Amino acid sequence: MKKIAFIAGIALTSGLAGSASAQLVAHKDLSVTTAVAIAQTAVQTCKAQGYNVSVHVLGRSGEVLVAMRGDDTGPHTLENSMKKAWTARAQRAPSVNFANAVKTNPTAGALHLTNMVPAQGGLPIMVGEDVIGAVGVSGAPGGDKDEACAKSGIDKVAADLK
Amino acid sequence: MSKIAFRIAGISLGAAVAFAVAAPADAQLLTHKDLSVAAATAIAMTAIETCKTQGYNVSAHVLGREGQIVVAIRNPAAGFATFENSMKKAYTARTTRAPSGKFAETVKGNPNAAQFFLTNFVAAQGALPIMVGQDTIGAIGISGAPGGDKDEACAQAGIDKVSAELR
Repeated sequence: MKKIAFIAGIALTSGLAGSASAQLVAHKDLSVTTAVAIAQTAVQTCKAQGYNVSVHVLGRSGEVLVAMRGDDTGPHTLENSMKKAWTARAQRAPSVNFANAVKTNPTAGALHLTNMVPAQGGLPIMVGEDVIGAVGVSGAPGGDKDEACAKSGIDKVAADLK
Repeated sequence: MSKIAFRIAGISLGAAVAFAVAAPADAQLLTHKDLSVAAATAIAMTAIETCKTQGYNVSAHVLGREGQIVVAIRNPAAGFATFENSMKKAYTARTTRAPSGKFAETVKGNPNAAQFFLTNFVAAQGALPIMVGQDTIGAIGISGAPGGDKDEACAQAGIDKVSAELR
């Protein structure tokens, strides 16, 4: 019994002295209000410019926070907006960067991963240097126009992204 | 092309044109009202905010006429299963054209109801069909409150918010 207690004591001590790398990870993540504001602003900005678009806002793990199907949009736009956002989240960069990269390297390994798409219109959502999610837009006549609406969504909540 | 084949083709074409011109009345296109993204978002966010006011974090789905997602909102403050569940409740309400709670009532004591063999049916209260008159144009599903009745009340608040537009 004494021996067992001694062993338990060692275990407890090790637990208390846990290495620094065992500390929990502190995260900021998108709230439902913020995510919806980003998506809705993107839809409305494009609408004001005469474009109907669909939008996805994904979270840190690529999970869907908001999916929004625009009025009279093509049926592929909801999927495409998700994939653009996924690409931006995964690469921590605008999806256009990936589009440019595969122009010179059409056999890029990432093309074989699920949900990666070499198309402009997805932007990472950042808190400082930390990528906490992404927004993807699809439906405007040109990825640059999709991206501009995605940007307007992020700008709308810029003050809260800290 | 042989003369005969040409003649047959000509007859067929002529017949087709005649049919098209004399199309029966029931061949007219359908006229539909459908949810706009603005209306769908208003419904979903009103439901989420109503539940939040009551102390409940919920996720929401608004589905359209074909069960397609119009707006899907995951509430990170709610359990992660709520996202899927809100979709399934909405799907159930859309396809049965009735509150999902009614389906739950119907299958009580019938755990092998045929609908359980279909995708996305769920026997749980918390979703309502979105109606324009007698026409079901979509559904809203809510999940996350402690009780389907509370989910449903928030869904109702969402629909009430845009009731003036639902015509």
